Amino acid sequence: MKTHSGQADVIVTMIQRLTPRAKVGRLFSRVCKAWRLFGFAIASMTAATAELRASELQVWTGGDRPAFVLPDLNGADIALRSRLGSMVLVHFFATWCEPCRDELPALRRLVARSADAGVTVLAVSVAEVDERVRRFFETMPVNFPILLDRDRAVAKAWEVNTLPTTFVLDRTLKPRLVAEGEFSWNGITAEAMMRALARSQSDPQRPKSSAEGAIGNSGSTTR
Amino acid sequence: MTIDRRSFVKAGVAASLAAGLARTARAEAGYAPRPGAWRTFRMRTLVEIARPEGKVQAWVPLPAVNEVDWARVIANEWTTGAKASRLRDPKYGAEMLHVEWADGDPNPAVEIISTVAVRDRYVDLGRPGAAAPLSEADRTLYTGATALVPTDGIVKQTSDSITASAKTDLEKARAIYEWIVDNTFRDPKTRGCGIGDIAAMLKSNNLGGKCADLNALYVGLARAAGLPARDVYGIRVGASKFGYKSLGANSETVTKAQHCRAEVYLTGYGWLPVDPADVRKVVLEEPPANLALLNPKVISARRGLFGSWEGNWIAYNFAHDIGLPGAKGPVVDFLMYPQAETAAGRLDSLEPDAFKYVITASELNS
Repeated sequence: MKTHSGQADVIVTMIQRLTPRAKVGRLFSRVCKAWRLFGFAIASMTAATAELRASELQVWTGGDRPAFVLPDLNGADIALRSRLGSMVLVHFFATWCEPCRDELPALRRLVARSADAGVTVLAVSVAEVDERVRRFFETMPVNFPILLDRDRAVAKAWEVNTLPTTFVLDRTLKPRLVAEGEFSWNGITAEAMMRALARSQSDPQRPKSSAEGAIGNSGSTTR
Repeated sequence: MTIDRRSFVKAGVAASLAAGLARTARAEAGYAPRPGAWRTFRMRTLVEIARPEGKVQAWVPLPAVNEVDWARVIANEWTTGAKASRLRDPKYGAEMLHVEWADGDPNPAVEIISTVAVRDRYVDLGRPGAAAPLSEADRTLYTGATALVPTDGIVKQTSDSITASAKTDLEKARAIYEWIVDNTFRDPKTRGCGIGDIAAMLKSNNLGGKCADLNALYVGLARAAGLPARDVYGIRVGASKFGYKSLGANSETVTKAQHCRAEVYLTGYGWLPVDPADVRKVVLEEPPANLALLNPKVISARRGLFGSWEGNWIAYNFAHDIGLPGAKGPVVDFLMYPQAETAAGRLDSLEPDAFKYVITASELNS
């Protein structure tokens, strides 16, 4: 919107210089002002949507969750701890779960538009055979790792009761927000999530759990 | 004898009407299994690994439930060019055929023929008998928790709430049954027979699923109430004689007809057959579908499936959390489908066409 407004300013200035008192210039100037207002309104609505979406994430009050190392679809072990310093979305899903299938493309778009903000997604397939997950992502490529929680040990340790469930972890990898069940990631921004994270940290209700071996400490992994 | 076309058509119409009336009469009589003649079924399980790669092995469940009143395994026989071992799980007595093919075998295959006799079950709840007492070991096993069937936490709380006003074990067992029927639903989108993660179901308040979910919930709630209970994993092999299309296998191919039932042990009565999941199946699927709970067919099935079930189904085992010897992948929550692994990993047992396996069944004395 800034770009459009900036271009309009330049055009108005040029027209006014050429025909400072021409009616057509005044009319165009009004149109451009209206366009600037429209652009401002759209930008405000977009920002408001992002804030609203972020505010719909629940503050996580369940304490720390154990760190994990899980294999990805290529057979490489991925440690959650390797994402230290990023805002991490740990997304538990299954390919048979319909809302999950809707959310995966939305998460892909979120990662694409938040690359500079250090947002990363770790998608954890719960209790599925590798082959099924592999086939599924052949037709739906994503820009984040797909991890295989074959025996649902991590889902159990994280007390996941419904799919999908997404935890939003701060840069120290502490869970701060959660979406249990389907959630619309469309329109949400890294900045809005950062502000929601900051608000969650100032929540006086938040328990100060910090079990040994949990994320944020130097404990062991579950695998 | 010669029959003209008109007579032939009349005879055909009369026969159709008679068959229709018979079906209607059966439906009106309702779901009322009673022990009678034994029915013998021959089930053929053919596993042909579609994409063999590296080391290939399979673990195929074998019918292994022998109960004096309703199940006799006559034979499990197999044909394969591979090394095959019949294995028995020491905890539950579940049996499987473990087949290991030589590396590079281009056509790994095994055919298993199981011959099993079954009959209807019925326990008269008005007359407690002198059923054999349950051994302490079995009582411990069947009141204990499994990986997905905890008996504490929300399961215990829910069970306590359901059985709060029940005074006897029979009342508790019935209260849990009625609660399952009233509060759960059959979700047609559930893969296979479901998972049976009952704490997750209760915590998320998503009480939809299929037999492995709904009947596992029954088992968990019963165990939490102190009642021995167990899932019975099996497969439908014949049509229902009671006019219920949804409660039987309606073709010879039963590849996707796996079904688990449940039992609860009541002193004096013995193991009571229960199947609240099938009541919800009648509600969802029995033509014309989406029946009300007050529909006579639902009422009849609901009455019948607490204390009886039909012998058109073969039981594999009662087992949970079964390790597959020699496997790289995890334990299975239950063993009701053929399992296999190749160098590419565990195959998807819920995709029989890609796996690949085919199960057929026919009644020998029909």
